[in-house]
Amino acid sequence: MSQLVLTAVIVMFVLAPAPIAGQASSARAKTPAARGAWTPPRTTWGAPDLQGIWDFATITPMERPKELAGKEVLTAEEAAEFEKRTLEQRNPDRRDGGSQADVGRAYNQFWWDYGTKVIGTKRTSLVVDPPDGRIPPLTPQARQRAETRAEVLRRPAAGPEDRNLWERCILGGNAGPPMVSGAYNNNVQIFQTPEQVVILNEMINDARIVPLDGRPHLPPSLRQWRGDSRGRWDGDTLVVDTTNFRDPTNFRGSRATLHVVERFTRVAADTLLYEFTVDDPQTWTRPWSAAMPMTKTEAPIFEYACHEGNYGMVNILTGARAGEKAAEEAAKTGSR
Amino acid sequence: MQNKVSVLVAGAGLLLLLVAPPALAHHAFAAEFDANRPVRLKGAVTRMEWINPHAWIHIDVKKPDGKVEKWMIEGGTPNTLLRRGFTKHSLLPGTEIVVDGYQAKDGSMKANGRDLTLPDGRKVFMGSSGTGAPRDGKDPTEVKK
Repeated sequence: MSQLVLTAVIVMFVLAPAPIAGQASSARAKTPAARGAWTPPRTTWGAPDLQGIWDFATITPMERPKELAGKEVLTAEEAAEFEKRTLEQRNPDRRDGGSQADVGRAYNQFWWDYGTKVIGTKRTSLVVDPPDGRIPPLTPQARQRAETRAEVLRRPAAGPEDRNLWERCILGGNAGPPMVSGAYNNNVQIFQTPEQVVILNEMINDARIVPLDGRPHLPPSLRQWRGDSRGRWDGDTLVVDTTNFRDPTNFRGSRATLHVVERFTRVAADTLLYEFTVDDPQTWTRPWSAAMPMTKTEAPIFEYACHEGNYGMVNILTGARAGEKAAEEAAKTGSR
Repeated sequence: MQNKVSVLVAGAGLLLLLVAPPALAHHAFAAEFDANRPVRLKGAVTRMEWINPHAWIHIDVKKPDGKVEKWMIEGGTPNTLLRRGFTKHSLLPGTEIVVDGYQAKDGSMKANGRDLTLPDGRKVFMGSSGTGAPRDGKDPTEVKK
Protein backbone atom coordinates (compact mmCIF):
# COMPACT_ATOMS: atom_id res chain seq x y z
CA MET A 1 0.00 0.00 0.00
CA SER A 2 2.68 2.46 0.99
CA GLN A 3 4.45 1.64 -2.24
CA LEU A 4 1.28 2.49 -4.14
CA VAL A 5 1.02 5.84 -2.37
CA LEU A 6 4.65 6.56 -3.07
CA THR A 7 4.10 5.67 -6.69
CA ALA A 8 1.11 7.97 -6.80
CA VAL A 9 3.10 10.84 -5.30
CA ILE A 10 5.85 10.40 -7.83
CA VAL A 11 3.36 10.02 -10.63
CA MET A 12 1.48 13.18 -9.68
CA PHE A 13 4.72 15.07 -9.50
CA VAL A 14 5.68 13.85 -12.93
CA LEU A 15 2.25 14.73 -14.31
CA ALA A 16 2.63 18.38 -13.45
CA PRO A 17 6.23 19.39 -13.20
CA ALA A 18 6.22 22.37 -15.49
CA PRO A 19 4.00 24.92 -13.72
CA ILE A 20 5.53 24.33 -10.30
CA ALA A 21 8.80 26.17 -10.72
CA GLY A 22 7.17 28.99 -12.62
CA GLN A 23 4.28 29.74 -10.30
CA ALA A 24 5.74 28.98 -6.93
CA SER A 25 7.18 32.32 -6.06
CA SER A 26 5.55 34.47 -8.71
CA ALA A 27 2.84 35.89 -6.45
CA ARG A 28 5.23 37.88 -4.32
CA ALA A 29 8.26 38.33 -6.53
CA LYS A 30 6.77 39.99 -9.56
CA THR A 31 5.28 43.43 -9.93
CA PRO A 32 1.75 43.64 -11.37
CA ALA A 33 3.24 44.87 -14.64
CA ALA A 34 5.47 41.80 -14.86
CA ARG A 35 2.44 39.57 -14.26
CA GLY A 36 0.99 40.46 -17.63
CA ALA A 37 1.01 44.19 -18.19
CA TRP A 38 -2.60 44.52 -17.16
CA THR A 39 -3.31 47.99 -15.81
CA PRO A 40 -6.01 48.27 -13.19
CA PRO A 41 -8.74 50.87 -13.61
CA ARG A 42 -8.21 54.17 -11.79
CA THR A 43 -10.36 56.19 -9.46
CA THR A 44 -11.18 59.76 -10.49
CA TRP A 45 -8.18 60.93 -8.41
CA GLY A 46 -5.84 58.44 -10.11
CA ALA A 47 -5.44 55.66 -7.53
CA PRO A 48 -5.79 52.00 -8.55
CA ASP A 49 -9.49 51.20 -8.19
CA LEU A 50 -10.00 48.24 -5.86
CA GLN A 51 -13.59 49.10 -5.05
CA GLY A 52 -16.40 46.60 -5.12
CA ILE A 53 -17.46 43.40 -3.40
CA TRP A 54 -14.93 40.57 -3.38
CA ASP A 55 -15.69 36.93 -2.65
CA PHE A 56 -12.90 34.95 -0.99
CA ALA A 57 -14.62 31.59 -0.47
CA THR A 58 -12.27 28.77 -1.37
CA ILE A 59 -11.65 25.17 -0.34
CA THR A 60 -7.89 25.48 -0.84
CA PRO A 61 -6.54 24.72 2.64
CA MET A 62 -4.35 27.17 4.53
CA GLU A 63 -1.63 24.55 4.80
CA ARG A 64 -0.47 22.08 2.19
CA PRO A 65 -1.78 18.63 3.09
CA LYS A 66 1.10 16.40 4.21
CA GLU A 67 0.27 13.95 1.45
CA LEU A 68 1.08 16.65 -1.12
CA ALA A 69 4.48 17.51 0.35
CA GLY A 70 6.69 18.89 -2.42
CA LYS A 71 3.78 19.54 -4.75
CA GLU A 72 2.92 23.20 -5.03
CA VAL A 73 0.37 23.27 -7.82
CA LEU A 74 -2.37 20.88 -8.92
CA THR A 75 -3.16 20.13 -12.53
CA ALA A 76 -6.69 20.87 -13.70
CA GLU A 77 -7.61 17.18 -13.34
CA GLU A 78 -6.11 16.92 -9.88
CA ALA A 79 -7.83 20.13 -8.82
CA ALA A 80 -11.21 18.75 -9.96
CA GLU A 81 -10.59 15.54 -8.04
CA PHE A 82 -9.44 17.47 -4.97
CA GLU A 83 -12.60 19.60 -5.07
CA LYS A 84 -14.82 16.55 -5.42
CA ARG A 85 -13.19 14.70 -2.52
CA THR A 86 -13.07 17.74 -0.24
CA LEU A 87 -16.74 18.49 -0.78
CA GLU A 88 -17.66 14.87 -0.15
CA GLN A 89 -15.70 14.95 3.10
CA ARG A 90 -17.27 18.21 4.21
CA ASN A 91 -20.81 17.37 3.18
CA PRO A 92 -22.88 17.32 6.38
CA ASP A 93 -25.63 15.35 4.62
CA ARG A 94 -24.16 12.11 5.94
CA ARG A 95 -24.38 10.28 9.21
CA ASP A 96 -21.10 8.48 9.77
CA GLY A 97 -18.77 9.13 12.71
CA GLY A 98 -21.21 8.83 15.62
CA SER A 99 -23.45 11.36 17.32
CA GLN A 100 -20.59 13.56 18.59
CA ALA A 101 -19.44 14.18 15.02
CA ASP A 102 -23.03 14.43 13.89
CA VAL A 103 -23.97 17.21 16.31
CA GLY A 104 -20.85 19.07 15.21
CA ARG A 105 -22.08 19.12 11.61
CA ALA A 106 -25.11 20.99 12.94
CA TYR A 107 -27.18 21.46 9.78
CA ASN A 108 -27.43 20.09 6.31
CA GLN A 109 -25.32 21.36 3.43
CA PHE A 110 -27.74 24.14 2.52
CA TRP A 111 -26.52 26.42 5.28
CA TRP A 112 -22.80 26.24 4.56
CA ASP A 113 -21.07 28.48 2.07
CA TYR A 114 -17.36 27.70 2.16
CA GLY A 115 -17.05 27.64 -1.61
CA THR A 116 -16.68 24.76 -4.00
CA LYS A 117 -13.46 25.59 -5.83
CA VAL A 118 -9.74 25.75 -5.19
CA ILE A 119 -8.05 29.12 -5.80
CA GLY A 120 -7.38 30.08 -9.42
CA THR A 121 -3.65 29.48 -9.17
CA LYS A 122 -4.42 25.85 -8.11
CA ARG A 123 -1.76 26.09 -5.45
CA THR A 124 -2.09 23.34 -2.86
CA SER A 125 -1.98 25.77 0.08
CA LEU A 126 -2.73 29.41 0.80
CA VAL A 127 0.62 29.55 2.60
CA VAL A 128 3.34 30.58 0.11
CA ASP A 129 6.16 31.09 2.60
CA PRO A 130 7.67 28.93 4.08
CA PRO A 131 7.97 27.24 0.68
CA ASP A 132 6.71 23.93 2.10
CA GLY A 133 3.27 25.54 2.42
CA ARG A 134 3.11 24.86 6.16
CA ILE A 135 2.74 27.37 8.99
CA PRO A 136 6.02 27.52 10.97
CA PRO A 137 6.04 25.70 14.33
CA LEU A 138 4.55 27.43 17.36
CA THR A 139 6.96 28.65 20.02
CA PRO A 140 6.91 26.66 23.30
CA GLN A 141 4.97 29.51 25.00
CA ALA A 142 2.39 29.50 22.19
CA ARG A 143 1.94 25.74 22.52
CA GLN A 144 1.34 26.18 26.24
CA ARG A 145 -1.23 28.95 25.59
CA ALA A 146 -3.02 26.76 23.05
CA GLU A 147 -3.31 23.95 25.59
CA THR A 148 -4.66 26.31 28.23
CA ARG A 149 -7.26 27.69 25.78
CA ALA A 150 -8.32 24.21 24.72
CA GLU A 151 -8.77 23.24 28.37
CA VAL A 152 -11.00 26.29 29.01
CA LEU A 153 -13.12 25.44 25.96
CA ARG A 154 -13.52 21.83 27.08
CA ARG A 155 -15.04 22.65 30.46
CA PRO A 156 -18.53 24.11 30.89
CA ALA A 157 -18.33 27.89 30.43
CA ALA A 158 -18.56 29.91 33.67
CA GLY A 159 -19.45 32.98 31.60
CA PRO A 160 -19.22 34.35 28.06
CA GLU A 161 -15.53 35.18 28.62
CA ASP A 162 -14.75 31.46 28.59
CA ARG A 163 -15.99 31.13 25.01
CA ASN A 164 -14.20 32.32 21.89
CA LEU A 165 -14.53 35.81 20.43
CA TRP A 166 -16.56 34.67 17.43
CA GLU A 167 -19.17 32.94 19.61
CA ARG A 168 -19.33 36.18 21.56
CA CYS A 169 -19.93 38.14 18.32
CA ILE A 170 -16.88 40.31 19.00
CA LEU A 171 -14.73 39.22 16.04
CA GLY A 172 -15.59 37.34 12.86
CA GLY A 173 -13.72 34.09 12.37
CA ASN A 174 -12.74 34.85 8.77
CA ALA A 175 -12.65 38.67 8.84
CA GLY A 176 -9.18 39.19 10.24
CA PRO A 177 -6.94 40.91 9.76
CA PRO A 178 -5.77 38.78 8.10
CA MET A 179 -8.80 37.49 6.16
CA VAL A 180 -9.01 33.74 5.55
CA SER A 181 -11.82 31.83 3.85
CA GLY A 182 -14.28 30.26 6.31
CA ALA A 183 -17.67 28.53 6.43
CA TYR A 184 -19.84 31.47 5.26
CA ASN A 185 -19.95 35.27 4.82
CA ASN A 186 -16.72 35.16 2.80
CA ASN A 187 -17.27 38.61 1.34
CA VAL A 188 -15.53 41.94 1.73
CA GLN A 189 -16.38 45.31 0.26
CA ILE A 190 -13.72 47.93 -0.39
CA PHE A 191 -14.43 51.68 -0.51
CA GLN A 192 -11.82 54.32 -1.34
CA THR A 193 -11.32 58.04 -0.90
CA PRO A 194 -8.05 59.85 -1.60
CA GLU A 195 -7.26 59.83 2.13
CA GLN A 196 -8.77 56.56 3.36
CA VAL A 197 -9.72 53.03 2.46
CA VAL A 198 -12.60 51.22 4.16
CA ILE A 199 -12.50 47.45 4.37
CA LEU A 200 -15.97 46.17 5.25
CA ASN A 201 -16.22 42.49 6.08
CA GLU A 202 -19.59 40.77 5.87
CA MET A 203 -18.74 38.63 8.89
CA ILE A 204 -19.77 40.65 11.99
CA ASN A 205 -20.05 43.60 9.52
CA ASP A 206 -16.95 45.23 10.89
CA ALA A 207 -15.46 48.12 8.92
CA ARG A 208 -11.76 48.89 9.12
CA ILE A 209 -11.08 52.52 8.29
CA VAL A 210 -7.52 52.72 7.04
CA PRO A 211 -5.83 56.15 6.79
CA LEU A 212 -3.45 56.62 3.84
CA ASP A 213 -1.86 59.89 4.99
CA GLY A 214 1.27 58.43 6.53
CA ARG A 215 0.29 59.07 10.14
CA PRO A 216 2.03 56.81 12.68
CA HIS A 217 0.34 53.94 14.49
CA LEU A 218 -1.51 54.61 17.73
CA PRO A 219 0.69 54.70 20.84
CA PRO A 220 1.46 51.22 22.20
CA SER A 221 -0.86 51.73 25.17
CA LEU A 222 -3.94 51.82 22.89
CA ARG A 223 -4.94 48.30 21.88
CA GLN A 224 -7.92 47.34 19.67
CA TRP A 225 -9.73 44.07 18.90
CA ARG A 226 -8.83 44.31 15.20
CA GLY A 227 -5.62 46.26 15.75
CA ASP A 228 -4.74 49.61 14.23
CA SER A 229 -4.36 49.70 10.44
CA ARG A 230 -2.34 52.16 8.34
CA GLY A 231 -2.25 52.08 4.54
CA ARG A 232 0.00 53.20 1.71
CA TRP A 233 0.34 52.63 -2.01
CA ASP A 234 3.29 50.60 -3.28
CA GLY A 235 2.90 51.06 -7.04
CA ASP A 236 -0.53 49.61 -7.82
CA THR A 237 -0.63 47.62 -4.58
CA LEU A 238 -2.40 48.80 -1.44
CA VAL A 239 -0.29 47.85 1.58
CA VAL A 240 -2.03 47.79 4.98
CA ASP A 241 0.08 47.50 8.11
CA THR A 242 -1.70 46.50 11.33
CA THR A 243 -0.37 46.48 14.90
CA ASN A 244 -1.76 47.36 18.37
CA PHE A 245 -3.89 44.23 18.75
CA ARG A 246 -5.40 43.22 22.09
CA ASP A 247 -4.25 40.04 23.77
CA PRO A 248 -7.55 38.17 23.46
CA THR A 249 -7.47 38.66 19.68
CA ASN A 250 -6.17 35.37 18.52
CA PHE A 251 -5.18 34.61 14.95
CA ARG A 252 -4.09 30.99 15.08
CA GLY A 253 -2.71 31.44 18.57
CA SER A 254 -1.26 34.94 18.20
CA ARG A 255 -1.08 37.59 20.93
CA ALA A 256 -1.15 41.40 21.12
CA THR A 257 2.32 41.42 19.55
CA LEU A 258 0.86 40.24 16.21
CA HIS A 259 1.98 42.30 13.22
CA VAL A 260 0.02 41.89 9.97
CA VAL A 261 1.00 43.29 6.56
CA GLU A 262 -1.66 42.87 3.88
CA ARG A 263 -1.20 43.53 0.17
CA PHE A 264 -4.17 44.12 -2.17
CA THR A 265 -3.40 44.06 -5.92
CA ARG A 266 -6.00 44.08 -8.66
CA VAL A 267 -4.44 41.66 -11.14
CA ALA A 268 -7.47 41.38 -13.45
CA ALA A 269 -10.86 43.04 -13.79
CA ASP A 270 -12.44 40.30 -11.68
CA THR A 271 -9.47 39.27 -9.50
CA LEU A 272 -8.03 40.94 -6.43
CA LEU A 273 -4.87 39.24 -5.26
CA TYR A 274 -4.85 39.33 -1.46
CA GLU A 275 -1.54 38.52 0.24
CA PHE A 276 -0.55 38.77 3.86
CA THR A 277 2.47 38.29 6.06
CA VAL A 278 2.07 37.71 9.79
CA ASP A 279 4.75 37.93 12.43
CA ASP A 280 4.54 37.39 16.17
CA PRO A 281 7.75 36.28 17.92
CA GLN A 282 5.64 35.14 20.87
CA THR A 283 3.73 32.73 18.64
CA TRP A 284 5.69 31.50 15.60
CA THR A 285 9.32 30.62 15.16
CA ARG A 286 9.42 32.81 12.03
CA PRO A 287 7.10 35.12 10.01
CA TRP A 288 4.94 33.48 7.33
CA SER A 289 2.93 34.54 4.29
CA ALA A 290 -0.15 33.47 2.38
CA ALA A 291 -1.85 34.43 -0.90
CA MET A 292 -5.59 34.19 -1.58
CA PRO A 293 -7.02 35.63 -4.82
CA MET A 294 -10.51 37.09 -4.40
CA THR A 295 -13.17 37.17 -7.11
CA LYS A 296 -15.35 40.16 -7.90
CA THR A 297 -19.03 39.57 -7.33
CA GLU A 298 -22.10 41.55 -8.27
CA ALA A 299 -24.10 39.87 -5.50
CA PRO A 300 -24.85 42.14 -2.56
CA ILE A 301 -23.16 42.01 0.81
CA PHE A 302 -25.61 41.37 3.66
CA GLU A 303 -25.75 42.64 7.19
CA TYR A 304 -24.54 40.22 9.83
CA ALA A 305 -25.47 41.90 13.11
CA CYS A 306 -24.28 39.00 15.22
CA HIS A 307 -25.42 40.40 18.56
CA GLU A 308 -28.96 40.71 17.23
CA GLY A 309 -30.10 37.30 18.35
CA ASN A 310 -27.16 35.36 19.71
CA TYR A 311 -29.37 32.80 21.45
CA GLY A 312 -26.53 30.35 21.04
CA MET A 313 -24.50 31.97 23.81
CA VAL A 314 -27.51 31.89 26.17
CA ASN A 315 -28.05 28.23 25.35
CA ILE A 316 -24.39 27.38 25.93
CA LEU A 317 -24.44 29.03 29.37
CA THR A 318 -27.82 27.64 30.48
CA GLY A 319 -26.61 24.24 29.22
CA ALA A 320 -23.49 24.54 31.38
CA ARG A 321 -25.57 25.45 34.46
CA ALA A 322 -27.99 22.58 33.81
CA GLY A 323 -25.05 20.22 33.59
CA GLU A 324 -23.69 21.42 36.92
CA LYS A 325 -27.09 21.02 38.57
CA ALA A 326 -27.46 17.51 37.24
CA ALA A 327 -23.98 16.62 38.54
CA GLU A 328 -24.84 18.03 41.99
CA GLU A 329 -28.06 16.05 42.16
CA ALA A 330 -26.30 12.90 41.04
CA ALA A 331 -23.68 13.44 43.79
CA LYS A 332 -26.43 13.87 46.42
CA THR A 333 -28.24 10.76 45.28
CA GLY A 334 -24.97 8.85 45.29
CA SER A 335 -24.09 9.91 48.86
CA ARG A 336 -27.40 8.77 50.34
CA MET B 1 -2.92 5.48 -22.95
CA GLN B 2 -3.34 2.51 -20.66
CA ASN B 3 -0.51 3.91 -18.55
CA LYS B 4 -2.04 7.34 -18.37
CA VAL B 5 -5.35 5.93 -17.16
CA SER B 6 -3.73 3.92 -14.40
CA VAL B 7 -1.68 6.94 -13.45
CA LEU B 8 -4.83 9.02 -13.05
CA VAL B 9 -6.44 6.28 -11.00
CA ALA B 10 -3.41 6.20 -8.71
CA GLY B 11 -3.55 9.97 -8.37
CA ALA B 12 -7.24 9.82 -7.48
CA GLY B 13 -6.45 7.22 -4.86
CA LEU B 14 -3.93 9.51 -3.28
CA LEU B 15 -6.34 12.42 -3.22
CA LEU B 16 -8.80 10.18 -1.38
CA LEU B 17 -6.40 10.33 1.54
CA LEU B 18 -6.63 14.09 1.79
CA VAL B 19 -9.28 14.66 4.38
CA ALA B 20 -10.19 18.32 4.63
CA PRO B 21 -10.56 19.72 8.13
CA PRO B 22 -14.12 20.50 9.21
CA ALA B 23 -15.43 23.91 8.27
CA LEU B 24 -15.15 26.66 10.82
CA ALA B 25 -18.51 27.50 12.31
CA HIS B 26 -19.84 30.33 14.37
CA HIS B 27 -20.04 28.29 17.51
CA ALA B 28 -19.13 24.92 18.86
CA PHE B 29 -22.43 23.10 18.50
CA ALA B 30 -21.41 20.45 21.01
CA ALA B 31 -21.40 23.18 23.70
CA GLU B 32 -25.01 24.07 22.92
CA PHE B 33 -26.64 20.79 21.88
CA ASP B 34 -26.50 17.38 23.51
CA ALA B 35 -25.21 14.55 21.33
CA ASN B 36 -26.97 12.13 23.72
CA ARG B 37 -30.38 13.66 23.10
CA PRO B 38 -31.29 13.17 19.45
CA VAL B 39 -34.84 14.34 18.68
CA ARG B 40 -37.23 13.81 15.80
CA LEU B 41 -40.05 16.35 15.85
CA LYS B 42 -43.02 16.74 13.58
CA GLY B 43 -44.92 19.98 13.72
CA ALA B 44 -46.33 23.03 12.01
CA VAL B 45 -44.26 26.16 11.54
CA THR B 46 -45.66 29.05 13.59
CA ARG B 47 -43.01 31.62 12.64
CA MET B 48 -39.44 31.98 11.50
CA GLU B 49 -36.96 34.42 13.00
CA TRP B 50 -34.64 35.79 10.31
CA ILE B 51 -32.01 36.89 12.79
CA ASN B 52 -28.24 36.81 13.07
CA PRO B 53 -26.11 34.97 13.76
CA HIS B 54 -28.56 32.08 13.30
CA ALA B 55 -32.11 31.78 11.99
CA TRP B 56 -34.66 30.12 14.30
CA ILE B 57 -37.79 28.27 13.20
CA HIS B 58 -40.65 27.96 15.70
CA ILE B 59 -42.89 24.91 15.46
CA ASP B 60 -45.87 23.52 17.37
CA VAL B 61 -45.47 19.83 18.05
CA LYS B 62 -48.67 17.96 18.91
CA LYS B 63 -48.16 15.17 21.43
CA PRO B 64 -50.26 11.98 21.38
CA ASP B 65 -52.24 13.26 24.40
CA GLY B 66 -53.25 16.37 22.44
CA LYS B 67 -50.92 18.75 24.24
CA VAL B 68 -48.87 21.14 22.11
CA GLU B 69 -45.16 21.68 22.70
CA LYS B 70 -43.56 24.84 21.35
CA TRP B 71 -40.10 24.07 19.96
CA MET B 72 -37.43 26.37 18.57
CA ILE B 73 -35.14 25.04 15.87
CA GLU B 74 -31.76 26.58 15.09
CA GLY B 75 -30.44 26.98 11.55
CA GLY B 76 -27.44 28.81 10.08
CA THR B 77 -27.08 32.43 9.04
CA PRO B 78 -29.95 34.02 7.10
CA ASN B 79 -27.30 35.43 4.73
CA THR B 80 -26.75 31.98 3.26
CA LEU B 81 -30.51 31.51 2.86
CA LEU B 82 -30.73 34.78 0.92
CA ARG B 83 -27.85 33.73 -1.34
CA ARG B 84 -29.64 30.46 -2.04
CA GLY B 85 -32.77 32.31 -3.09
CA PHE B 86 -34.71 31.39 0.04
CA THR B 87 -37.05 34.19 1.14
CA LYS B 88 -39.45 35.00 3.93
CA HIS B 89 -42.18 33.50 1.76
CA SER B 90 -40.44 30.16 1.36
CA LEU B 91 -41.42 28.60 4.67
CA LEU B 92 -44.84 29.87 5.65
CA PRO B 93 -46.66 29.42 8.97
CA GLY B 94 -48.75 26.27 8.93
CA THR B 95 -46.23 24.25 6.89
CA GLU B 96 -45.73 20.81 8.43
CA ILE B 97 -42.07 19.90 8.79
CA VAL B 98 -40.06 17.09 10.29
CA VAL B 99 -36.99 18.08 12.29
CA ASP B 100 -34.10 15.76 12.91
CA GLY B 101 -31.63 17.21 15.39
CA TYR B 102 -30.29 17.31 18.92
CA GLN B 103 -31.92 18.92 21.94
CA ALA B 104 -30.28 21.84 23.77
CA LYS B 105 -28.09 20.88 26.73
CA ASP B 106 -30.25 22.91 29.10
CA GLY B 107 -33.16 20.54 28.44
CA SER B 108 -35.45 23.26 27.04
CA MET B 109 -37.50 22.75 23.90
CA LYS B 110 -34.79 23.89 21.53
CA ALA B 111 -32.89 21.83 19.00
CA ASN B 112 -30.55 22.28 16.09
CA GLY B 113 -32.12 21.69 12.69
CA ARG B 114 -29.77 18.89 11.63
CA ASP B 115 -32.13 17.96 8.81
CA LEU B 116 -35.45 19.56 8.03
CA THR B 117 -37.78 17.74 5.71
CA LEU B 118 -41.35 17.97 4.53
CA PRO B 119 -43.65 15.06 5.48
CA ASP B 120 -43.07 13.48 2.03
CA GLY B 121 -39.32 13.39 2.64
CA ARG B 122 -38.25 16.32 0.51
CA LYS B 123 -35.74 18.65 2.13
CA VAL B 124 -37.00 22.01 3.31
CA PHE B 125 -33.58 23.46 2.64
CA MET B 126 -32.19 21.91 -0.49
CA GLY B 127 -28.49 21.18 -0.49
CA SER B 128 -27.76 19.17 -3.64
CA SER B 129 -26.59 16.19 -1.63
CA GLY B 130 -23.12 15.09 -2.41
CA THR B 131 -22.41 17.43 -5.26
CA GLY B 132 -21.31 20.20 -2.95
CA ALA B 133 -22.82 22.67 -5.37
CA PRO B 134 -25.82 23.98 -3.50
CA ARG B 135 -26.31 26.89 -5.87
CA ASP B 136 -26.67 24.89 -9.05
CA GLY B 137 -30.43 24.40 -8.69
CA LYS B 138 -30.18 20.91 -10.17
CA ASP B 139 -31.75 19.14 -7.23
CA PRO B 140 -35.28 18.20 -8.34
CA THR B 141 -36.40 18.07 -4.70
CA GLU B 142 -35.77 21.78 -4.23
CA VAL B 143 -38.71 23.60 -2.70
CA LYS B 144 -39.32 26.63 -4.86
CA LYS B 145 -41.60 29.57 -4.29
